[in-house]
Amino acid sequence: MMPNIAVLVKRVPDTNAQILVSGDRVDLSNVKWVMSPYDEYALEAAMMHKEAQGGVVTAITLGAPECDKVLKDAKAIGVDRIIRVWDDSWSELDSNQTQMALTSAVKEISAEVVYCGKSAADTGAGSTGPGVAERLDWASASNIIGLEFEDSGIEVIVPAASGNARTGISLPAVVSCDKGFCKPRKPNVKGIMMAKRAQVEVLAAEIPASGINIVSHTPPPQKAPGQTFDGATNVPAVVAALRNDANVI
Amino acid sequence: MSETVVIAETKQGMLHSVTAELVSAANALGSAPTVIIPGTSDSAAAAVAELAGVGRVIACVGDCFSTYDAASWAKAVDTCAPAGIVVCAASQNGKDLASRLAARRSISVVQDVVAIDGSTLTQPIFSGKAMQNIVLSGDAVISIRANTFAAVGEGDGAEVTVMNQSADIATAVREMIAKANERLDVAEADIIISGGRGMQDPVNFVDLERIADALGAAVGASRAAVDTWEEIPHSMQVGQTGKTVNPSLYIAVGISGAIQHLAGMRTSKYIVAINKDAEAPIFKHADYGIVSTWEEALPILESELKALLG
Amino acid sequence: MLTYEGVDFYDIESQLSEDEIMVRDMVRDWVDEEVIPNIEEACREGHFPEEWGQALGEMGVLGMTIDEKYGCAGMSYVAYGLVCQELERGDSGLRSFASVQGSLAMFPISAFGSEEQKMHYLPKMASGEWVGCFGLTEPDYGSNPGDMITRAVEDGDDFVLNGAKMWITNGTVADVAIVWAKLDGVIRGFIVEKNDAGFSAPEMTGKHSLKASVTSELVFQDCRIPKNRILPDVKGLKGPFSCLNNARYGISWGAIGSAQACFHSAKEYTLSRIQFKHPIASYQLVQNKLAWMLREITKGQLLALHLGRKKDDGSWIPEQISLAKMNNVDMALEIARMARDMHGANGILDEYPIMRHMANLESVKTYEGTHDIHNLILGRWITGIQAFTRDL
Repeated sequence: MMPNIAVLVKRVPDTNAQILVSGDRVDLSNVKWVMSPYDEYALEAAMMHKEAQGGVVTAITLGAPECDKVLKDAKAIGVDRIIRVWDDSWSELDSNQTQMALTSAVKEISAEVVYCGKSAADTGAGSTGPGVAERLDWASASNIIGLEFEDSGIEVIVPAASGNARTGISLPAVVSCDKGFCKPRKPNVKGIMMAKRAQVEVLAAEIPASGINIVSHTPPPQKAPGQTFDGATNVPAVVAALRNDANVI
Repeated sequence: MSETVVIAETKQGMLHSVTAELVSAANALGSAPTVIIPGTSDSAAAAVAELAGVGRVIACVGDCFSTYDAASWAKAVDTCAPAGIVVCAASQNGKDLASRLAARRSISVVQDVVAIDGSTLTQPIFSGKAMQNIVLSGDAVISIRANTFAAVGEGDGAEVTVMNQSADIATAVREMIAKANERLDVAEADIIISGGRGMQDPVNFVDLERIADALGAAVGASRAAVDTWEEIPHSMQVGQTGKTVNPSLYIAVGISGAIQHLAGMRTSKYIVAINKDAEAPIFKHADYGIVSTWEEALPILESELKALLG
Repeated sequence: MLTYEGVDFYDIESQLSEDEIMVRDMVRDWVDEEVIPNIEEACREGHFPEEWGQALGEMGVLGMTIDEKYGCAGMSYVAYGLVCQELERGDSGLRSFASVQGSLAMFPISAFGSEEQKMHYLPKMASGEWVGCFGLTEPDYGSNPGDMITRAVEDGDDFVLNGAKMWITNGTVADVAIVWAKLDGVIRGFIVEKNDAGFSAPEMTGKHSLKASVTSELVFQDCRIPKNRILPDVKGLKGPFSCLNNARYGISWGAIGSAQACFHSAKEYTLSRIQFKHPIASYQLVQNKLAWMLREITKGQLLALHLGRKKDDGSWIPEQISLAKMNNVDMALEIARMARDMHGANGILDEYPIMRHMANLESVKTYEGTHDIHNLILGRWITGIQAFTRDL
């Protein structure tokens, strides 16, 4: 079978990092950078696919040279090829540009299946997986919480309105991964030494003009000071506040 | 002023109330939208036509809409929907469809919009630790967070057209499985409800479990509870030597809020405390504190949440 | 508690290579996920989880400076130091396992063993399948190993060993023991395997320190081993001392990890603990203590890093290792004690790691050369006069 497997990975600020807004832009100069957490599950899915059916795994990222780190991290757990898509003239790419660049790389390596995290920890958007699938005219399944490999494709479990849907998909397809359905393997020293020696292939791509203009970044609205209510009769008011003010349920 | 298109949100074929908020968002962009309602029949179209602020309604009818399939939905909806700024719900499927639609049209997608001010759209970034304000330089697909726009009320009735538009589905649902009732681990969950020694008996944790089920939350415990009761395992412990958690919502029931527990959860986005002792230190850290016994508060909390979330 | 992100005030990280950082982070993450949530229980039970030894093997950090040809990582001494630092941030007993396995059991085989011995033992020890230990110290011979009484005599195709060793980390669970004994009055190294006749390794119990670690006696009663088990290439104290130098080097980094854990806990605690309406971190006496801790940790880090680079380019001398080991362990123990004080009564609970580190560091200060022995090693280097014994 020997499938050609691609996995998209992204370098993002650690989810515990303090995000400062300085002037009208976020200041990321002091944050710790990590691989976006859901991408670790996508990487594991890609490696599991290779273990099940053979083939080659290529990790792809879009970004400036400092993004090589997440590719090296992917190499340390055993991916075969590592590719970064970038042009030094690029900055603040919108979804359209991002997806075109990544799609171009996926096409260039002739991948037959693409795994990615369900959303990136910085944007929380979740657009890349389905967007890349559309540009490739492939099937897509998002937010998967289960994965099995079959001769004719893959079977995934995705959350649906009335429960979880066990769904069959023929390849080629793009699969975006939630966490929990597998345990991301850890690197070991051998992998780290291979990563040290590995070469990142840098690819160019054609992208259109941006469709959005970032005007500013602002700090989040201030949380209201804490309030204490006397008596259980206040529970409904608190529930309403959690929904309408805090937006957490 | 751009044309706007709203993709109505449906749930199991029925119109979802958030659609009225999407229309409101489209109105904020300065236009009365064309509302596309995908479905296997046009049964929901009439309800949409009754909403205020709607330009016209197109019922996009096709077999492919019997279950969610990204590729076919994008194809079919794209054919029915005119050009313009497309407005979707920022639900799981809404965002997915929004991405494919935008990609299909080679335009940007802007997810989780929470405010529209003139031509400036605002979306949260870094899990809401900052806000991003953007303007569009052309058509785009945007998704709107629930509960951020007031729903429009009733209108005069808009024109309804039916377009029969299906597409080949690319994924095949083989079986529906009930959502597993596995307890989420506290380290993984976005919402946690924890019990302390104030629960008085480990059997009372079942009341917390029911609320956790309603919320899709994990159940945690303070060290005091874990140390006192064998039945409460260490894996549930939140606090210094238990797990450090960072959920969007942390509900502490019968927990005093002494420093060791606090250290484990103080970075939670929102903290709700239920404790019968008004002097309990946890109230200093809670966004919403309720001074009450858990026996009185939990049943009300459970019924309110079930009513709200279904 | 905020996630641990290292204590690195002088940006040591900027001096590390990409792979050294990745190895450090690999162990840091593993310690956070597997060790810290379980270490207090292991300590209460006085139990070293075997699976941790295997996990270290899988990560490839056992004997990690030894050549790749023997299934080892072939990485730098700085990388080894970083691994020790992260392990000991978890627990000194855990780092002791790795020190013993790598520097005291695998190292002598790689430095002094025959090619067959290396190929036979090293790969399985690197993977963690075989656990090693190092038998030098005896009940009556600690700082004075040269006068040891464990002896070996030739008998046909075998050596027969008699004697006893004490305070041996990993002994009871070891598959392989590197035992130093006198053959015709000269100290030689012997490889003893756990099933050899006449060899037993009872566990020592009742420890208040290094509780999550196996400490044993090694007992040799007419213990018979084939002649090919002798380490051919070394005679005299030079053998065990070169192993100890390696282990001591790792400990100079490890102690930093322990100090970092105590500092991190003290900082978090004092920021959260409110007394007289303010967090105690806002009071001057507390800030003084935190600043002192940071100074000592920073100095210790620079010492260890520079020493590591000298280990890597071969320009080191043993006295430099003595200085680093004694300084860093001493500062770590003082930091642990200070941290306990800053945690108030909470500091005595195993809710916080402080007293576990404090108790562990008492052992670390004594083993691998006591604090005062290292003092004398430096004194001899400075003055040219040995002060270990009255026989000048």
